[in-house]
Amino acid sequence: MNPDIIDGFTQASQLETILAVAAGCFIGLVVGMIPGLTISTGIIIVLPLTFVLEPEISIALLLGLYVSGMTGGSFSAILLNIPGTPSASATAIDGNPMAKNGEAGRALGIAITASFLGGLFSFLCLYFIAPLLAEIALKFQSPDLFSLVFFGLTIICSFAAKSLVKGLLSAVIGLAIVTVGQDPMMGTARFTFDQVNLISGIHFLTALIGLFAVPQLVDNFADMMKSETATKNAANIKSVLPKLADLKLMRLPVAIGAPIGSFLGILPGAGGPIAAFISYDYTKKLSKNPKEFGNGSPQGIAAPESANNAVTGGALIPMMTLGIPGDPVTAILIGALLIHGLAPGPLLFVENGEFAYGLIFSFFWANIFNIVIALIGLRYLVKVLVIPRTFLMPTIAILCVIGSYALRNNFFDVYVMFGFGLLGLAMRWLDMPIVPLLLAMVLGRQLEEHLRVSLIASKNDVTVFFTHPFSLFFLCLAAASIFWSFWAEHKSKQKQEHLEI
Amino acid sequence: MSNMRRRNLIAAIILLLLCAGYAYLTANLPTRAIENTTQPSFFPWVVTVIMAVLSLGLLAQAFLPTISSDTPKTFDVPAKRLIYGLVLSVAYFVSLPTLGFVAGNIPFFAGLMYLYGERRPLWIAAGSILISLIVFFLFREVFQILLPSGILQGVLR
Repeated sequence: MNPDIIDGFTQASQLETILAVAAGCFIGLVVGMIPGLTISTGIIIVLPLTFVLEPEISIALLLGLYVSGMTGGSFSAILLNIPGTPSASATAIDGNPMAKNGEAGRALGIAITASFLGGLFSFLCLYFIAPLLAEIALKFQSPDLFSLVFFGLTIICSFAAKSLVKGLLSAVIGLAIVTVGQDPMMGTARFTFDQVNLISGIHFLTALIGLFAVPQLVDNFADMMKSETATKNAANIKSVLPKLADLKLMRLPVAIGAPIGSFLGILPGAGGPIAAFISYDYTKKLSKNPKEFGNGSPQGIAAPESANNAVTGGALIPMMTLGIPGDPVTAILIGALLIHGLAPGPLLFVENGEFAYGLIFSFFWANIFNIVIALIGLRYLVKVLVIPRTFLMPTIAILCVIGSYALRNNFFDVYVMFGFGLLGLAMRWLDMPIVPLLLAMVLGRQLEEHLRVSLIASKNDVTVFFTHPFSLFFLCLAAASIFWSFWAEHKSKQKQEHLEI
Repeated sequence: MSNMRRRNLIAAIILLLLCAGYAYLTANLPTRAIENTTQPSFFPWVVTVIMAVLSLGLLAQAFLPTISSDTPKTFDVPAKRLIYGLVLSVAYFVSLPTLGFVAGNIPFFAGLMYLYGERRPLWIAAGSILISLIVFFLFREVFQILLPSGILQGVLR
């Protein structure tokens, strides 16, 4: 057996790491269930803490939060009919009717168990696929890596935006921002305006805090918390442990949701909401009782919940092996790794094999602690839903400011964060997605480096991108994703026009 | 012209202006006399061209009748509250280096509590002071992240 696997397991099973996973799971469940707070916001809140922790402990904490945040989102979806996270939207369709019928505990138990099973399946995918993919990725040369990153960006734009032009514009703005600072090849200062603070560029975590937290804080000005409903439904929770009959019912939705979630997790940009709805739809089609769906079907809860938790493991695969984040959370994980001097990508398994496997096993522990904490502490956790927003939101606001400052102990980053917050508001006003911009900021430097290295090596011959088989393959995929997006947009408009007529 | 198309038009014009500014700065980037290499301005030029093409695409969307005129739901928040929030934030960020993280956070926290709908003065006072102090000491003592104390440096040793 690969010694890195044993070392990784030992590392992930240290008391400090386990405690970090458990703490992350607890925070994730709380953050996930509060409507208006996303997993990204939760991670932003704990981010400053990761600066002072060891890398394996930081990542364990963030992984716990990531996994449990997905599960936590279903709690408010079931109890309030307000999804705590976008990924839990499909769960509300059947979860809330069950809660209204006095079966809140049963619905929550099914959601927690399905989340666990989906997460466990994606752990197996991560464990078996990630090292293999990393081995293949080691053969990639600069043209292949350029085309891969380019494909990653185009597919994110295709999935994230209703309008492809706006998705691509968002990514290009991100690429323009990344050019601020030292040129990666020659070290020449670009667009720094003689500002010392800009020489090392704009830190993407600062941008992330502003882009995600500020629009969310503004969103929360509108009061949407229904604490009375929460308290009433929370009082109905008797037992959350699923019965044998429910476990039998969950076989089909989990068998559908877990693979779909893991696969869509691997695709950058697809994410939890898409996986949840596709799984829900397929389960409904294959179920013996499709008419129950929408009126409180346990299968209607298990399918999206297994799928959205399976997305987490899937999203970690391209992040770890190719350095391509599948969603904002994995982008933050990349940022957290970079802060500690660890670069995700194919070399992670070669140079830091112990850490790479440690991360995989921390993900396993995160799924275990997720189900344990959720099942045991659910009755107490749902009390969080009645915390007044008047305290919660200002606390998040000051944590965001401190998080930006703590990154480099610099007030400049605080101003940058605020600037990005305003940019986030402007983008929301324009219906332009934020995710492509953020991921372009993560991948931009790699894109530039691989492009320029390829051109220098080929003496400025652009055909180099079409003569390398891997590169050609990724470019074809990128073209297909753009074409598909245009086609889907066109179809959607035709449908809309037809409806208007 | 529908609301969304007007927004697209405004955004396209702003982006084209930004693109022009970015192109001007790119043109003035220093060059290196090294053979068979790409200059520091190479990638910014690529970005400029793509951004210009996409901005023109957005401009076209503002005029094409086939484009959906649906206006997305942006913020369900009264404009007044948004402006107050913005003014409060600007005042906070400007004064933060002088006031420090405790003296700066207390009024900011209190102002936000008010904007989020809290009207009980005692709750606002207690909440803003307590949470600001807890967060400050939590970061300083537990996380070992030194936050500037500003005008309270003598008090918060």
